[in-house]
Amino acid sequence: MYTLTERFTRVAALLLLLLGATSVAAGELEEPTGPVLLTISGDIENTNGDGTAAFDLDMLRALGATDVTTETIWTPGTITFTGVELKTLLDHVGATGSEIDATAINDYTVVIPVSDAVAEGPIVAYEMDGKLMSRRDKGPLWLIYPYSSNAEYRTEVIYSRSIWQLDRMAIR
Amino acid sequence: MTLATGFRRTGRAVLTVLALLCLLAIAVLVREVVKELKFLSSASSDNVHWTLSQAEVEFLEFRNAVNWARTAPETPLSSVIVEFDVFYSRTSTLANGSLYSSLREDPAFDAPLTEVRDRLNAMIPLIDGPRDELRANLDDLAAQADEMRVLVRKIATTGLQHFALESDELRTSVAVTLLRLAVLTGLLLLALAALLMHARRTAQQTEKRGKELAIAYARLNTILNTSLDAVVVTDTTGRIQNFNPAAERIFDCRLKDVRGKRVGDIIVPEHLRDAHEAGMARFAADGEHRVIGQGRVKLEAMRSNGETFPVELAIETAHAGDEQLMVAFLRDISHRLAAENELVQARDKALAGEQAKAEFLAMMTHEIRTPLNGILGNLSLMEDTKLSSDQSRYMRNMKISGELLMRHVDAVLDVARFESGADKAQEDVTHLGHLFQDIVDSQTSAAHAHGNALQWGWVGTPEEWVEVDSSRLQQILLNLVGNAIKFTREGRISIEAEVIEQGEPAKIEIRVSDTGSGIAEGDLARIFEDFQTVSHQVSDSVGGTGLGLGIVRRFVQAMDGVIGVESTLGEGSTFWLRIPVLPVERPVEDSGAGPESEAPSDLEILLVEDNDINMQLAYEVLVGMGHHVTEARNGQEAVDITAKRPFDLILMDIRMPVMDGLTATKMIREGDGPNWNAPIVAFSANVLPEAKDRFAAAGMSDFLGKPLQRTELAQIIVRFCAGRDRRVKLDGATPLLVEQKESPMEKLRNRYMSETSSLFEWLAGLPEDTHAIADRAHQIAGSAAAFGQPGVREALLLVEQAAEAGDREDLVVAISEAQAAWKAAPEPSLVG
Repeated sequence: MYTLTERFTRVAALLLLLLGATSVAAGELEEPTGPVLLTISGDIENTNGDGTAAFDLDMLRALGATDVTTETIWTPGTITFTGVELKTLLDHVGATGSEIDATAINDYTVVIPVSDAVAEGPIVAYEMDGKLMSRRDKGPLWLIYPYSSNAEYRTEVIYSRSIWQLDRMAIR
Repeated sequence: MTLATGFRRTGRAVLTVLALLCLLAIAVLVREVVKELKFLSSASSDNVHWTLSQAEVEFLEFRNAVNWARTAPETPLSSVIVEFDVFYSRTSTLANGSLYSSLREDPAFDAPLTEVRDRLNAMIPLIDGPRDELRANLDDLAAQADEMRVLVRKIATTGLQHFALESDELRTSVAVTLLRLAVLTGLLLLALAALLMHARRTAQQTEKRGKELAIAYARLNTILNTSLDAVVVTDTTGRIQNFNPAAERIFDCRLKDVRGKRVGDIIVPEHLRDAHEAGMARFAADGEHRVIGQGRVKLEAMRSNGETFPVELAIETAHAGDEQLMVAFLRDISHRLAAENELVQARDKALAGEQAKAEFLAMMTHEIRTPLNGILGNLSLMEDTKLSSDQSRYMRNMKISGELLMRHVDAVLDVARFESGADKAQEDVTHLGHLFQDIVDSQTSAAHAHGNALQWGWVGTPEEWVEVDSSRLQQILLNLVGNAIKFTREGRISIEAEVIEQGEPAKIEIRVSDTGSGIAEGDLARIFEDFQTVSHQVSDSVGGTGLGLGIVRRFVQAMDGVIGVESTLGEGSTFWLRIPVLPVERPVEDSGAGPESEAPSDLEILLVEDNDINMQLAYEVLVGMGHHVTEARNGQEAVDITAKRPFDLILMDIRMPVMDGLTATKMIREGDGPNWNAPIVAFSANVLPEAKDRFAAAGMSDFLGKPLQRTELAQIIVRFCAGRDRRVKLDGATPLLVEQKESPMEKLRNRYMSETSSLFEWLAGLPEDTHAIADRAHQIAGSAAAFGQPGVREALLLVEQAAEAGDREDLVVAISEAQAAWKAAPEPSLVG
């Protein structure tokens, strides 16, 4: 199944590359200045080159920080995560699709419906208890749902969508 | 019923509790299931299996990256670093994640994990250090990775095993919970089924009871509707609630017209309404009731047209729910009362008829016996006169017929007396031998007249002295012997007595046998009935009333005995009777002398009798016994005479003109004359028992029947005058009357006395007929001088003059003066 998804993702990425030339986009995003942490591709309206939207940390911070304090099944104790809301992020890039293929640095990919991106919903976290997350600590980006505040987020599906070491998203 | 109800109640309670328990348990289980489901749905587990295997995958990726880097020295080492970080991150999750906390408690998992973590941590300086150094140590890293491979493998398998177990437990737990739930649900269903059945049964019972109630109600209604008695139901204030068809019929009004109206206005007659209202008020005030619950009471009720009629009424109170009702049962008894009245009238008529019969009987016996007495008495007297032989024969025939007639009258009288029930058994001490001998003695001449021999004797040991109703026994035997003599010619008649049962009382059989004509078998059964005569060749000449044996049977039965007869036609008859007698000791006799020898003579006796002939008869008898007799013609004369001088004995007729014997006796007893306590003996042909009672009530000492019997008279004299001297002697005066035999002078004088007395009696009543007064006064006045009473003569002449003059006032004065003169006059005596 994962191999399927992976293959699919690759196909999607190829398609995006082909499309990217023609759609010299509706909106231009600023260019990242620091190391790129996240690249969003696919059905998006705002890009900063190659039909993708690349974000460095400052760009993510600039979108506004949201704190989510919660317990997780993967960490001990209660932790406050800081990051940008998925909804804000998708709005920022003008995502028009219904699904997101989110991929980790080791190519672990999950499909997240765009409908998950709601206010007070999941965030793309970059800080854990006020510290940036290293790659060894599931950083630099981790999609965190507010598990503690909403029981609907304590399901296996949601847990599987909580992808860490996130670095790519493809909207479709 | 109560037991069953109790069971049902207990059952219901048990079921309810059971259902509640089931519900509770189900609630608990449901909560548990929900919790488990929640647990399942919240999926805290993530996909642990995948995570664990992912750890191995990531380790292999890392190892591959290292090996790739060794084989291709020109490639950058970034993939090695990335794969290291990814794997490191994974081990961090395993080491810190709350999901794996339980797993970490297992040393088989924790130990390799810790070692892997330690080795990774040890690699960090190399990984984070300069790339050259890293590259130089790639072989070392590969070697270490080879060593770690076993550990990582162990971590994965241990973890998988652990979660497999955990998942098994979870499944088991869920299964158990679900099983419990299923069992409890089953139980609950059972309980519900039981409750359902119970409810159904209850419903059925309710339906059944409903039907029963309906039937009972219908039955009750039928009873009420078909009742012949009126049933009126009211509330406690007297408002009519129900009125059954009988009530509608009896009171002639419809239920729909009277419902809710006051019962007092509808069926209570006006004259009882106040009492009714008072009763209702009493009941309302304090529940007092006089009619309610008292059974049937007779009252009057009213129909719609105002007609009142008698009813029998019973009122009861009843409770219908909270309401108290009064139920009145009324029965129209007007027909019954009418029938009762008719019966009472019929009974009264019958009683009056009986009374009339008894009175008629008394009258007839008197009226028949009195003249018959006269005939027989005169025949006796005439026998003593000089008669020709023909005359003597006629005389004898007449006497026989007269005596027969007298016997018949006596027989009828005996029956009347017995039937009246007043003729009670009177037991006395009797010598049976004497009794039999007396009968033989008295009947011997009659027996001889028919050429019969008459004798008596004991069979076996005699029982001489007994207590028995001797008078009845005598009468029975006389009757039987008389019959035997009547039907036997030239034969033998015997009386046999035999003790057939010893003891107290003993039983005696007496047989009267004859060698006479006998009785036909067909007649044997009816001879003891009343008025049964047997037509018979021999007895045709004698005849009879047919009452004799009827009386005998009554007497025997009254003595608790039985009587029977055996007879062969042409050979003779044997009448037998068995009676109980009480054997007694021979009584000590006062003296050897008989009553006759003791009878005093020379007594002063007053004879009060209105009938001349009877008077003369009695007079002759008494004088013949050596007594001095004074005559009085009626009660008043007797009263007057007794006021003047004492008598040893007064014989008083009852029915007399002017004053009857009873009144006279009362006056003598109540007066203060010398005879107030003299023996006064009723002397009457009326011998019915009730008459005797009347005599005793009037103060009479005893009773003597007519015709006068010498023996009875002698007994009376002995009873009252034994040992008594002549009163006249006590007076010490010269006897006023002639001695033993009354001279014609005496007779004249007595006649004068009586006629004068009766005149004054008559005058006392102030008769209307002045001529008669004049005549009678003249007649007596003529005699008065002759009897040495000139004062009386003068006075009576004045009466005669006043009567002839027709002057009532003078007459009254003259009569009272004449009476005074009569009372003041000396004893009459013939002048000269």
